[in-house]
Amino acid sequence: MGRIELDGLTKRYGDVVAVDGVSLDIADGEFLVLLGPSGCGKSTLLRLVAGLITPSGGRVLLDGRDITHAPPARRDLAMVFQSYALYPHLTVARNIGFPLRAARTPRAEVRRRVEEVAALLELGPLLDRRPRELSGGQRQRVAVGRAIIRDPRAFLMDEPLSNLDAKLRQATRAQFRMLHETLGSTVLYVTHDQVEALSLATRIAMLDDGRLEQLGTPTEVYDTPASVFVAGFLGSPPMNLLPARVECHDGRVRVLADDVEVDLWPGEDVEARDVILGIRPEHLHLMAAEGPAGPGGMPRLRGVVRAVENLGAEESAQCAVGGALVHFRGARPLGLAAGQPVALTTARDHIHLFDRHSGRRLAWRPLADRPLADRQSADHEPAAALHDGVTTHQRSST
Amino acid sequence: MAVAETTAPAPARGEPSAVADLAGETGARVWLRTAVGHGVLAALSLACIFPIYWMYATSLRRPEEVYNVSLFPWPLSVGNYTHVWDVIPIGRLILNTFAVAALISVGQLLVGLLAAYAFTAWRFRGQTLLYLAFVGTWLVPFQVTMLPNYTLLYRLGLLNTLAGVIVPNLASALGVLLLRQHMASFPRDLLDAARMDGRSSWSILWTVVVPNLRAPLAALSIVLFINAWNDYFWPALVLQRADSVVQLGLRGLFVGVEGPDWGGLMAGSGLACLPIFGIYLLLQRHVVGAFVRSGLK
Ligand SMILES: Nc1ncnc2c1ncn2[C@@H]1O[C@H](COP(=O)(O)OP(=O)(O)OP(=O)(O)O)[C@@H](O)[C@H]1O
Ligand SMILES: [Mg+2]
Repeated sequence: MGRIELDGLTKRYGDVVAVDGVSLDIADGEFLVLLGPSGCGKSTLLRLVAGLITPSGGRVLLDGRDITHAPPARRDLAMVFQSYALYPHLTVARNIGFPLRAARTPRAEVRRRVEEVAALLELGPLLDRRPRELSGGQRQRVAVGRAIIRDPRAFLMDEPLSNLDAKLRQATRAQFRMLHETLGSTVLYVTHDQVEALSLATRIAMLDDGRLEQLGTPTEVYDTPASVFVAGFLGSPPMNLLPARVECHDGRVRVLADDVEVDLWPGEDVEARDVILGIRPEHLHLMAAEGPAGPGGMPRLRGVVRAVENLGAEESAQCAVGGALVHFRGARPLGLAAGQPVALTTARDHIHLFDRHSGRRLAWRPLADRPLADRQSADHEPAAALHDGVTTHQRSST
Repeated sequence: MAVAETTAPAPARGEPSAVADLAGETGARVWLRTAVGHGVLAALSLACIFPIYWMYATSLRRPEEVYNVSLFPWPLSVGNYTHVWDVIPIGRLILNTFAVAALISVGQLLVGLLAAYAFTAWRFRGQTLLYLAFVGTWLVPFQVTMLPNYTLLYRLGLLNTLAGVIVPNLASALGVLLLRQHMASFPRDLLDAARMDGRSSWSILWTVVVPNLRAPLAALSIVLFINAWNDYFWPALVLQRADSVVQLGLRGLFVGVEGPDWGGLMAGSGLACLPIFGIYLLLQRHVVGAFVRSGLK
């Protein structure tokens, strides 16, 4: 068992609020990744759960038991540190066995368990070495070994892969996923690397400035970012975010900005408002021909190519659209050169809108049960909504 | 040798002559720097070693030849040593001094270790103030505490005992200061890891901190031991007998009827230095070894 509940957890350092009222319910067996930029409070949150620092407010529950003030030793949680924190004076075997010896486990039992763990992590031949005689990847595995030998209720990991090179990181990611499937334990995992988060997590908790921005599966977080912050954090390059305005013109609800025209749906009853228009680089593509930008036309962004970057399988182009820089990527070659004028378009489903002031996502929902072709036809516009928590604009036509 | 190390292999193409010139020049300069460095170090070590050599050389001359200034004593004689043995109980004196110095340095090490651990592992109210108070004791001259300590020892009935020498010296700011510096740079993650692994703070001190501070602890032990071993004034004040510790015993040889007994003095000092050399040889192995940070990253 290993269900961790956080209830309004807060940590203040003087005026700095490192963790700001975070509530989370991490189910048993879940692989929850805390994702966010440097300094957003990920490590602090993890250390609060570990009991290494005491919160300024809120509670931590482990399997329903309040452990907010229990010392780390009584929490039955194991931690893997970014620095690995191996004991330099002990051999690998003694490092791995350290938590068991602290619990006064009989010697023979310790030896047996150490050998088991070493076999699982392929550390067998290294058991008599000291940490300084190991490579980075081997140290990392020893650190993991020291955590799993205790069979704890949950694992806490603070950027365990950040000291490895790219290739090893990928291999270790796969190993973590396997380990999680084998052991089935709860993992609370901190990283600032979105690839790690998207590939490992069962759910991602996005943190910004100590606050929980969004909680969801990798798919949810990537496909429907809850805020400008989340949208701008995920993806490489991240989502294009352009200041724009929603207006009604000639019986159509449209999103307008310099050199940008997006026709949403027919209607008049949407209040004009400032928004942020978001489109992922991989969802943009070149407009075949200059189609009509009139009612029901495809979303259109006009710009000039500034640079083209080779990413291996794909190419990424940066285009100046209005005053902003828009990235788009597609299969190589894109057939573009710097200085060339382009027109970009995207499917309407791939349009994200955020409130300009709060940065929160505006739900705008084309009616999902219509076939795509139908939705794009001029005559049968789907029902759609544009709303946030405060104002709701509902509209249904047809 | 230095030239060979720094001469880069000339690239296959380009300007081989220029490259060779450059390499030659740096090589010569490195060689010069090495030579000057070694020269300075050699001169310094000679200046350090010579008095010690002279002490042993003089002690090994025949007693009637102690004023001979030839560089090598010949013929060798242990006359001065047997003489010291006859005049003062040198064996017991050295043993006493050893016990005193050992107890004082162990006491100071323990106090330093516990205090430094408290100062680094915890945050508590009045911490800075308390630490400054500790450091402050270092600035108070010995003469200020001498008399109060003396009267206190008198009241406790510890005058003229070895305990009187030891007890007031059991804590020293030096130990606290030095160990706190080392613990402050001790990786915090290691302490946190040990806490996660279920160790109490007492057990963390002995199973994680101390084994990784072997080098500074060994260095500090040497310094503390030598300090205690060399201390003359306080033992002279507390122990008013010449047959107590070696520092005072040697004084007896100075103030003989016919002036200083140089041969005996050199032999006695030579013997008194041996435990220090022993301690140094024993501990310097640890000073050189052990690297705390190597377990990280
Ligand atoms: N002991 C402390 N005293 C004061 N401020 C602190 C302390 N520890 C952390 N902070 C502050 O709290 C905030 C969050 O720090 P934290 O280490 O949790 O960030 P992080 O998300 O783990 O960043 P990174 O990805 O760089 O590790 C930072 O602004 C940091 O300066
Ligand atoms: Mg961190």
